[in-house]
Amino acid sequence: MTLQRDNLWYKDAVIYQLHVRTFCDSNADGIGDFAGLTQRLGYLQELGITAIWLLPFYPSPLRDDGYDISDYTSVHSSYGSLEDFKAFLTAAHIRGMRVIIEMVLNHTSDQHPWFKEARSSRENPKRDWYVWSETDNRYPGVPIVFVDAETSNWAWDPISKSYYWHRFFSHQPDLNYDNPAVFGTVWGVMKFWLDLGVDGFRLDAVPYLVEREGTLCENLPETHAIVREIRKRLDLAYPGTLLLAEANQWPADVRAYFGDGDEFQAAFHFPLMPRIFMAVKLEDRKPIIEILEQTPEIPESCQWFIFLRNHDELTLEMVTDIERDYMYDEYAMDKSMRINRGIRRRLAPMMNNDRRRIELLNGLLMSMPGTPIVYYGDEIGMGDNVYLGDRNGVRTPMQWNSALNAGFSMADPERLYAPVISNAVYGYQAVNVDSQERFEHSLLCWMKSLIQVRNAFRVFSRGALQFLNPSNHRVLAYIRQFGGETVLVVNNLSSSAQAVELDVQAYKGYVPIEMFGRNLFPRFGNVPYLLTLGPYQFYWFQLRRI
Amino acid sequence: MADDTFLSDDLLRQLMSVGEVDLLVGISSQFAPSTIGHAVQTIEQAFQQYFVRQRVVIVNMGCDDQEHSQDGDGVVATSIDNSQEKNVRLPGIVSLRTIHQVSAKFSSPPSPGIALRTILAVADLLRARAVAVVSPATSNLTPDSIANLLRPIYQEKFDFVAPLFIRHKYQGLLVRNLLYPMSRAVFGCGIRELYSDERGFSGRLAGYCLNQEVWQEEAIRLRPEAWMAISAFSSDFRCCQVFLGEKSPATRGPGTDIVEVLRQTVGTLFWCLENRESSWLDGGKSQPVPTFGPSQELTSEPTDLDRHRIFEMFRSGVTELEPILSSILDPETHSEIKSIVSIEEAKFRFKSELWVRTLYDFAASYHHAVINRNHVIQALAPLYRGMTHSFLAEHANSSPAEMEAANEMLCAEFELQKPYLTERWKARVEVKS
Repeated sequence: MTLQRDNLWYKDAVIYQLHVRTFCDSNADGIGDFAGLTQRLGYLQELGITAIWLLPFYPSPLRDDGYDISDYTSVHSSYGSLEDFKAFLTAAHIRGMRVIIEMVLNHTSDQHPWFKEARSSRENPKRDWYVWSETDNRYPGVPIVFVDAETSNWAWDPISKSYYWHRFFSHQPDLNYDNPAVFGTVWGVMKFWLDLGVDGFRLDAVPYLVEREGTLCENLPETHAIVREIRKRLDLAYPGTLLLAEANQWPADVRAYFGDGDEFQAAFHFPLMPRIFMAVKLEDRKPIIEILEQTPEIPESCQWFIFLRNHDELTLEMVTDIERDYMYDEYAMDKSMRINRGIRRRLAPMMNNDRRRIELLNGLLMSMPGTPIVYYGDEIGMGDNVYLGDRNGVRTPMQWNSALNAGFSMADPERLYAPVISNAVYGYQAVNVDSQERFEHSLLCWMKSLIQVRNAFRVFSRGALQFLNPSNHRVLAYIRQFGGETVLVVNNLSSSAQAVELDVQAYKGYVPIEMFGRNLFPRFGNVPYLLTLGPYQFYWFQLRRI
Repeated sequence: MADDTFLSDDLLRQLMSVGEVDLLVGISSQFAPSTIGHAVQTIEQAFQQYFVRQRVVIVNMGCDDQEHSQDGDGVVATSIDNSQEKNVRLPGIVSLRTIHQVSAKFSSPPSPGIALRTILAVADLLRARAVAVVSPATSNLTPDSIANLLRPIYQEKFDFVAPLFIRHKYQGLLVRNLLYPMSRAVFGCGIRELYSDERGFSGRLAGYCLNQEVWQEEAIRLRPEAWMAISAFSSDFRCCQVFLGEKSPATRGPGTDIVEVLRQTVGTLFWCLENRESSWLDGGKSQPVPTFGPSQELTSEPTDLDRHRIFEMFRSGVTELEPILSSILDPETHSEIKSIVSIEEAKFRFKSELWVRTLYDFAASYHHAVINRNHVIQALAPLYRGMTHSFLAEHANSSPAEMEAANEMLCAEFELQKPYLTERWKARVEVKS
């Protein structure tokens, strides 16, 4: 299999997010690597994955899980070599999977040679690659992102005896994009990876690239200009390369990053994710409907990327205080499950390992407008370990089988970068790929069939959305339509059986075909269509005029 | 069979969409359809301010046609706005869940009894934990008052919540001089406002009341409120009172027709005595009811009551109804009544002891149906006027505290004479044809 030429490939993708470190260790050093990942590509292909999003794998002091990069054109030695990466990339492409990598443009590690030079003297040519000040009073009022760890956006540099600007950790100095040399160098970095064959970049911390006095130093026009310039160069030299924005903001604010289709092609829909969890707990579709109604139209070539869980905490930035309290009370009663303004738990534990709820949430993920992202391990219902500190509890080794170290590594268990999950419910003896591949009713096999159906119909990835709004608010029903394809999705968000009457007058005469079993249901007629759904059950119907 | 299917298919279909709820607020737009919009908005605000997480529903009992609507301006609102996706949103406060709205229509001539029965049935079917019933015509309906009715049920596990109000000192004289002290003495039920349009109750109590065989009774059809309160108290449901502020003017009912007022209130109370006989006949003393907020506040305002006319109506009524009163009252009581009729107005006083004995005679005669029960109630009207005249004269200059003390003494008198009621209640009597 080879990659098909399609500049809109990201619209139809099913993305798998992983950290090389967590996936498979080929050299028994206790840390996952590219060689190990390459060995496991068959697994991802079989799952139906069409794109892999890699978390940072660059050389780094790893004080921020790799988002503190000290060399942009190499691979962290723990994960292998550049040659290993190239081999992985080629293998992924051969299996029909594209690769998206992280690009941290806003800041570097303070261990990056650029910063070392910049701080070495005020006369150094790279001095102006970062944002310096004689005082810590510039840009007053700019919010601090990591309020748990930082007290100011300025940090004192004892070497050059001045302050440098950092929106994130103080060991992550912000680059100065007012200096054209910075942009030129960063573009060079991107070209480096593009020439190797990567298919897209997730640009980290995009809103913060440029600073201006009297502003919050976020979402500035100059930042958009930088994005447009990158996109222009990509379209010219590397058409079809994905630019994915990380902007944890309200959809209306993120909308600007799509521009007129000349900035990012994709951005995460952050507020949708907590509302999916909320809707299932509340047993009411209201939160989902409300946020999607607030979501603006985006240019034809653009796409929202949606997800249930990822490598960070389940962020509760984009919810009200009342909603945040509710989420904490329902999903993180134990305070050790909370971090920053979010919840550091995986999908399965948050669902109390209730298979029906896990399926419902994945069904929503795969049927709602946007490109779905599956976080590694969630396809088998992996658990978490909130006692590992920071967000490391959701970054434990992938559980391949019930052998030593869950089949992740042949190293002594003590050498693993993190302990495998080994409790009675989510431990690798009970939850692993090998055992789930053996029986067809496992979560893994179910996920495969779900993704297979999703991949077979472009209506899911590109179709318009129309809510049906039945009077039963425990039921979320919507029509997806694209070209000649029409799909009806009906979800029971509640823990009890529900009856629902759907107004499908517009589709009178259509025959609903249940998409997993291909069974025919009674034709739509003149009266509201009555359906009954078991607890957390959902239906996907292909609507055909036969 | 008809009883089993008194909920319409349309209502059941709406309930199917709502599912289980935590809180239910019922309103009947029968008497004030034009104010239903404001009431619904106020209830939504209560939910959004105080119950953002709970599963909630508003149930409106509306009229099907203008003929059945009893609103002054004739505007008919048979249903509330069902655009449930668009609940009123308060700035910065939004319910996490949908605020469901359900409309039910009267299938027969509307009445408070049918409205309550429907709301009870809905509460039972939806497994509501706490229910509040409010009147859309209540001009001072606020989110706070709704929350105050629901909270004791939802959070404190009470089963029945009766309201308390600020009252003008001459407002609610029937409650003060008859309904409250008599129900307190007989049933031991220290609930002041037995006949309020507002109340709260638990799903448990709703289910209990729904299953009582009373719904075809005229007393329940007209005024089911007191029966519900008395049922709650006398069946060991946990009852309390909450202070709701100012009492809005009476918005429904018989208006100034005192006979009709008595028929609906005292008649219902007498009927309750019969219906709940087993709970009081051999019962003990009254129990205090926990109260949240001030127990009761009185205000003093000028009154335009025509005391002289009231006295004249007392006199003429007692004289005209003498044959009927003789069949209702114990001879001794009747004799005393006749003697006070002749007292000049300035010196006239209807003593508590006589008033209580009179009422107990009426209750017993109502029970024994010595004459047509409607006539029994009708005959009470002049005597109530006499008591009212006496009260107005006695308390023309009383402070609220003095009036409260007097009311407590009246209550004590009712309790003191309860054996007299019991005796007369149990006595065999000859029914006059």
